[in-house]
Amino acid sequence: MNKKYLRAIIGVLLAVVVLAVPSLMPDNYYVGLANLTLIYIIVAIGLNFIYGYTGYISFAQAGFFGVGAYTSALLAVDLHVNFWAALPLSGISAAIFGVMLGLPALKLSGHYLAMATIGFGIIVQMVLQNWTPVTHGASGIGSIPGVSIGGMELASQTQYYYFLLVFAILAAVLSWCIEHSSMGRSFKAVREDEIAASTSGINLTFTKVFSFALSALYAGIAGSLYAHMSSYISPDTFSFDQSIIFFTMVLVGGAGTVLGPIVGAVLLTFIPELLRFMQEYYMALFGIAIVLVMLFIPQGIVSFFSADSKLSAWLANHGLHSKERGGNT
Amino acid sequence: MGAIYALVALGIVVIANAVNVVNFAQGENVMLGAYVAATLTLTLHLPLLSSYLIAIIILGLYGYVFQRVAYFPLRKKPFITVVVSTIGVSLFLKNIARIIWGPQPIYFSGLFGEHTIQVANIFVDPQNLLIIGVTTCLVIFQYYFFAKTPLGRQMQATAQDQEAASLMGIKVSRMIALTFIYSSMLAAAAGVLLAPIFFVSADMGGSLGLKAFAASIIGGFGSVPGAIIGGLFLGVLEIFGAAYISSVYKDVFAFVILILILVFMPRGLFGEKISTKV
Repeated sequence: MNKKYLRAIIGVLLAVVVLAVPSLMPDNYYVGLANLTLIYIIVAIGLNFIYGYTGYISFAQAGFFGVGAYTSALLAVDLHVNFWAALPLSGISAAIFGVMLGLPALKLSGHYLAMATIGFGIIVQMVLQNWTPVTHGASGIGSIPGVSIGGMELASQTQYYYFLLVFAILAAVLSWCIEHSSMGRSFKAVREDEIAASTSGINLTFTKVFSFALSALYAGIAGSLYAHMSSYISPDTFSFDQSIIFFTMVLVGGAGTVLGPIVGAVLLTFIPELLRFMQEYYMALFGIAIVLVMLFIPQGIVSFFSADSKLSAWLANHGLHSKERGGNT
Repeated sequence: MGAIYALVALGIVVIANAVNVVNFAQGENVMLGAYVAATLTLTLHLPLLSSYLIAIIILGLYGYVFQRVAYFPLRKKPFITVVVSTIGVSLFLKNIARIIWGPQPIYFSGLFGEHTIQVANIFVDPQNLLIIGVTTCLVIFQYYFFAKTPLGRQMQATAQDQEAASLMGIKVSRMIALTFIYSSMLAAAAGVLLAPIFFVSADMGGSLGLKAFAASIIGGFGSVPGAIIGGLFLGVLEIFGAAYISSVYKDVFAFVILILILVFMPRGLFGEKISTKV
C-alpha cells in the first residue's frame, strides 16, 4: 500500500478518535481528565520551545502556568473582567514573567539555569500562597466564572472538551509553523551550538528571551483556560513537582518534535490515573517509570516511530514497510 | 541549620565534581538516613550511636545501588537525562518512604533529648552544637582525605579528567561508585543529625535538597569551601530574614538570593571558572 495513503488513513482514524473522546470515556470524570490533558498539552508544547527547540532547561513552567491562572482568576473574580479579555491578558502577563526570567537566564546554562528556574517557580508559588490581600492566599480562589461564547455558557465537560480542543490544535499548529519558520531554525541553531549560531548572525539575546516568552505565553493561556474550566484554583497546583511533570511530559514524549509533548501530556495525565487503583504505590511507580524511560528511551516515545529508529529498521527488515517500498506499490 | 545545608550541599558538590551531574535525590537520601536510624533505634532498640553508624553504612550501600541503577547506564547521555533520572528516584524514594513508614512524622530524639545548655544568658540546644561540630570534623576529614590519601587523590583525578585518569591506571568506574557511596553517607550523617530538630517525615528531604543545591550555587558550584560557606550563609540568612523581614517568606529568601547571585555574580562567591571553547 502506498505510504501516503497509510498516513492519511491513520490521520483520519486519529481525528475520529480525538473527536469521539467524550463519548468514549466511561463517565464525566474521565472527560474532565481529557480536558485537563488538553490544557497540559498546551503547557507542554510551550515548554518544548525552550527545551526541545532552543535546548534550555526550564523547571519554571508550573510558575508561568500559575501566573496565567491567577491573572485570569483575579481579573474575573475581583474585577469582573470577561473571559475573552482575561485570556490574552493572562498570556501577556505570563510572557512578561517569561522575559523577566529569560533575561537573567541569558548568561546561564546547565545546573545554573536549572536552579534559577526552580527558584523562580518556588518564588511564584510562595508569593501566590502568602500574598493573601491580592492572591487570596493558601485557600485559593473559588467560583471563577465559566466560559461563555456569544452569550451561551459552556455547561458540560463535553462542551469544554471541544472548546479546549480548538485551543490545543491551534497551539500545535502554531508550534509547527514556528518550528518551520526562520525563528524555529534560529532556536535549533542555538540549541546545537550557541557560538556558531551567533557568528552566523543570529541574535542570541532575542532568540533566547523570545523562546522563554513564547513558552510562558503558552503556559499563561493554558493557565487561564484551566482557571475558567475548573472554577477553583489554589497555589498547590503550581508547585515544583508540577514543573517536573511538565518537563517529563516533553522528555517522555520526545523533545524537539510537535507530536512529542502531545504524546507525553496524554500519557502522563492518564497513566497516573490508571495506576490509581494501586493507591499509594502509584506515585512510587511513577518515579520508577521516569527512571526507566530515561534508561531505555531517552529520546522520547516519538523517536520510536521516527523513520530512522530501530523499530522502523526492524519493520523494514521484515518487509512490513519501508521508505523505498512505500512509493512503488 | 546552616551547617546542615552545608553538609547536604557538600554531598551534591562531591558528585557534581566527579561526574558533572546534579543529584536531585540528595534531599531524599537525607530523609532515608533519618528514617533508617529512627527505625533501628525505635523498633530494634539498638543503642543510638550504633544505629547512627549502621544507618550511615546502609546509606553507603544504597549509594552504590543508586549509581548502578540511575547513573551508570546513563553516563554517556546528556546531563539532563541523568538529572531527570535522579528526579525519578527522588519521587520514588519519597513515596516509598511514605508507604513504609506511614504518613505520620516520627519523633526521634537525639543524644541529648530535650535538654538545653545555658551559656551566659543564651539557651543553646546541644544538638545544634553537635551539628556544627560534626560538620566541621567532616569537612576537615574530607579535606585531608582528598588532598593527602592516595584514594582521595585518585577520586579527585577522576573528577578532573576521567579520560586522563583512566590512562593513569585509575579505575574510573570504581572511583565514581565510591564518590556516590561517600555522598550518600554524608546525606545519612545529615539525616541523623537533623532528625531531633525536625520530625522525621517523607517530605523532610524535598526542600532541604533544593536549598542545599541553592546553597552550593550561592557559594560557587563545584567548590567545596563554596558549598560550606554557601550553606552557612543561607542558614543565617533564613534566620535573620524570618526575624527582620517576614517569617512566612522564610523559604523564599534562599531562592531570591540565588537568582540575584546568578544575575550579578554567576560564578557564585567562590566559583568555578566558566569558559567556553570554540
